[in-house]
Amino acid sequence: MSTISSSDSMVIPGEWHVRYNYSVGKVAGRFFEGLKDRKVFATRCSKSGITYLPPRAYCERSFEPCDEWVEAGQEGVIEAATIVTAQFEGLRTPPYAIAYVRLDGVSTALCNFVEREDLSDVPAAAARLKPGVRVRVEFIPEPQGRITDFHYVRQAV
Amino acid sequence: MEVYVLGMATHSPADCIADKRLEEMVFDTARAALDDAHLTRDEIDHVTIAGCDEFDGRSISSMLLSAPAGAYLRDEIKCTDSGLTGLCLGAMRVASEILDIGLVVSWSKSSKAPVEDVMRMRCEPFFTRPIGLNMAISDALFAQAVSAEFGFGNDEPSEAVVRAYQRASQNPRGMQRPVPERSDIESSPFIATPLRRAHCAPLTDGAAVFALASGRWLARRPHIEPLARIAGLGWRTAGYSLGRERLAGMTGFRDAFQDAFGKAGVSGPGQLDVIELDSQTAYHALAFERSLPGANPQALSPSGGPFAQNPYFCAGLVNATEAVLQVSGQAGPVQVQGARRAAAHGMHGFAQQGNVVAIFERP
Amino acid sequence: MAREIVAAIGTGQTEFKRHHSDKTYVELAQSATKTALEDAGLHPDEIEAVVFSMAPTQFAGVNDIDRWAIEHVWGAGKPFMRVHTGGATGGSAFHAGYFHVASGQYRTVLVVGADRVAETPDAQHVLNLIWDKFYEQDFALNTVTMTALAAQRYMHRYGITEEQFARVVVRARHNANGNPFAHLKGDISVEDVMASQRVAYPFKRHDICPRSSGAAAVVLANLETASQKCTSPVFINGVGAIAHSVFMGDRLGFWSDTEFADHDGCILAARHAYRQAGITDPVREFDVAEIYDPFSSFQFPQLESLGFCGRGRAAEISDRGGWDMDGVVAVNPSGGTLCTNPIGVTGLVRHIDAVLQIMGRAGQNQVSRASKAVATAIGGSTQFFTVSVLGSDHVGIGRGA
Repeated sequence: MSTISSSDSMVIPGEWHVRYNYSVGKVAGRFFEGLKDRKVFATRCSKSGITYLPPRAYCERSFEPCDEWVEAGQEGVIEAATIVTAQFEGLRTPPYAIAYVRLDGVSTALCNFVEREDLSDVPAAAARLKPGVRVRVEFIPEPQGRITDFHYVRQAV
Repeated sequence: MEVYVLGMATHSPADCIADKRLEEMVFDTARAALDDAHLTRDEIDHVTIAGCDEFDGRSISSMLLSAPAGAYLRDEIKCTDSGLTGLCLGAMRVASEILDIGLVVSWSKSSKAPVEDVMRMRCEPFFTRPIGLNMAISDALFAQAVSAEFGFGNDEPSEAVVRAYQRASQNPRGMQRPVPERSDIESSPFIATPLRRAHCAPLTDGAAVFALASGRWLARRPHIEPLARIAGLGWRTAGYSLGRERLAGMTGFRDAFQDAFGKAGVSGPGQLDVIELDSQTAYHALAFERSLPGANPQALSPSGGPFAQNPYFCAGLVNATEAVLQVSGQAGPVQVQGARRAAAHGMHGFAQQGNVVAIFERP
Repeated sequence: MAREIVAAIGTGQTEFKRHHSDKTYVELAQSATKTALEDAGLHPDEIEAVVFSMAPTQFAGVNDIDRWAIEHVWGAGKPFMRVHTGGATGGSAFHAGYFHVASGQYRTVLVVGADRVAETPDAQHVLNLIWDKFYEQDFALNTVTMTALAAQRYMHRYGITEEQFARVVVRARHNANGNPFAHLKGDISVEDVMASQRVAYPFKRHDICPRSSGAAAVVLANLETASQKCTSPVFINGVGAIAHSVFMGDRLGFWSDTEFADHDGCILAARHAYRQAGITDPVREFDVAEIYDPFSSFQFPQLESLGFCGRGRAAEISDRGGWDMDGVVAVNPSGGTLCTNPIGVTGLVRHIDAVLQIMGRAGQNQVSRASKAVATAIGGSTQFFTVSVLGSDHVGIGRGA
């Protein structure tokens, strides 16, 4: 096998600026409308018994449309979490915490920020957000119909 | 599968290959692979490309890159998942007996693109993008999940990094970076817990090209000795939504290996002399090792894997070049003596959404 | 001759229109998948691998959008890959699916994709970005002006008029009346086309395809599965593809291997596909051609390159009705790309329309006793060409697994 080498040159910068207006669709639309009422709605397939968040039109397992809307519990358990400490372009100023949480009555996990955590000692904070820890849903004062209308807060807080 | 590797080339890696445009880097590597295979471009009938527009910074980047990849007036197709996925697609094309001799071409100029922003834009806009996932954050969630699932000791991640750099330092084809101290690793800043910067293989620029031939093409040319036979391939892409099972279940990884084992007539990891893994972080290395029961520890990533060089999009294809070097006895200082059967693994997507495995055998 | 015989055994499409506000991208892909699976009589568990068809994601606004779609197309945990060759994507994805089966690696494959083109108001800006940053972007090249250059060159070479192009549009819109999925339909006249707003000579508004949103899917299978599951499988007897140089300046004039105004790349791709399929006299052997024509100028050079007639002759045959549904060969009885262009899957829709014809399920647009069809897709600056030959009978016997 051969390897080819190289050794400096002009750089021409570039950027893309493209605007989007994402259509939410009916299914997610119902979810976001529910958030305005401080409710979290999930879809359920009666054949497989699976309840989905984010909500789905079809059940992957049974190959049938999800035929029910159910209100998810507003408490749940962390499945995965992390505290972000690096500053990424386009993302929130660190440190902040996010978690995938399986709300009571739902089969799949939904991601959101975890607030009201003391993040000054990051490893200690990470230890408090381990899988299995229970959290509750907390809504912002004026929900807009966006995923950021709510966040998670540890039960102990 | 009657598909053989005739020749290969990788581009010498660098943190930034600044003196060449992307297409020049691709041309040099494709040309070198043809030379390695003693082929002229006239002789090939197809090219399979693997590339990502967003990493290339150009929409439909294959418009510019297909000709440097050797595809001018040839049957060309491009997949976007990973370099090693391109090898799978290229091998199927040859195995179909419609096409006989061609190239698989992939590259990654990580220095050119805002990799983490590209990854961030892979979030769907409704549920994940407002929260913000990217490569590091999803790898951190993976790291936490597998730590809990497998019960890694506190020292294991930093030890895994040191081992990887030790192996990588012996690999003349890699960056040959100095081996860090464990204390350096453990004091390196967190990117997102529990992932520290030093746990992650640094990104590099690079490219890899394979020349593949069908058994019947070779049968008509008995004087030509291929480097290796592709014994088996497997690839699986897991669900997009994350959660404990998806993060820690390692289902895609195991299933991709099982698929390849089945096709290759191999009973398990213990029958592989070399397994080059796409361990982007220490946690991947540890989780992969735990998920290959019976694998000989000496077989795992003798090249150093991504800690030797890490052209992210085609890191798995680079692993494939290392695997072929092993079975053809050309791996040099990192040669595993008597290696006859070697696997290359590649992964892609958030938290190893995709896993790809190729098993090569001495012909 | 391929190692395994491959057939299409089920298809699904959504309605194509400017915007689906009631469904997200992944829900569109799901909808087409469900239809195709039911059409094929297969449960998702019986699909062994998936190929996703998607071109630039800048319109839909999510990078690697296929990754998001995987659960929705019942592909999670399966062998899955996405193919992207610009406008030719749907044709290339169809070919990739073909290779999955022809290689003997998989017995059933789902090929699926979707596009949403109205999620961004900046579509033409996005199309400008495909051009070379260093050399071409500053000249305001985009797909319209690039194709206009080729069309103008073709007109000059062969003495073809704008009215002759306009007649292609008239035929397409009329054909689309019978296609429940088509985006644009309804009878218009040559005068309507000629009076529409000028965009870039020789194109007026009606010479140009719409931007369409929607999804399409097809299930491919090996001979054994096809025989068990499908009463009228459509066999893929030949596949050919060619990539050309990106630099248009290289593709004309004395030193060029080919002439870009003639869609010459198509000749080579067709040659490979025809050789596999044993096609020697395309105009006599094909009943239907479902070809990629986002502009009214595309059909003539493409039909010539596909071997349907001599250079520069396709227009006069068009004028005499030779490409009508009851003509010498029915060209785009579906209405073609001029009526429906969901970029990421346009090529797939070309193939699906051809498949439906051979299955005898093209409804109002059914060409009588259609048994052989050719489908094409084109991408980039007429840089990537795919050609597929489909038929009600298979060529060769295959080797078996």
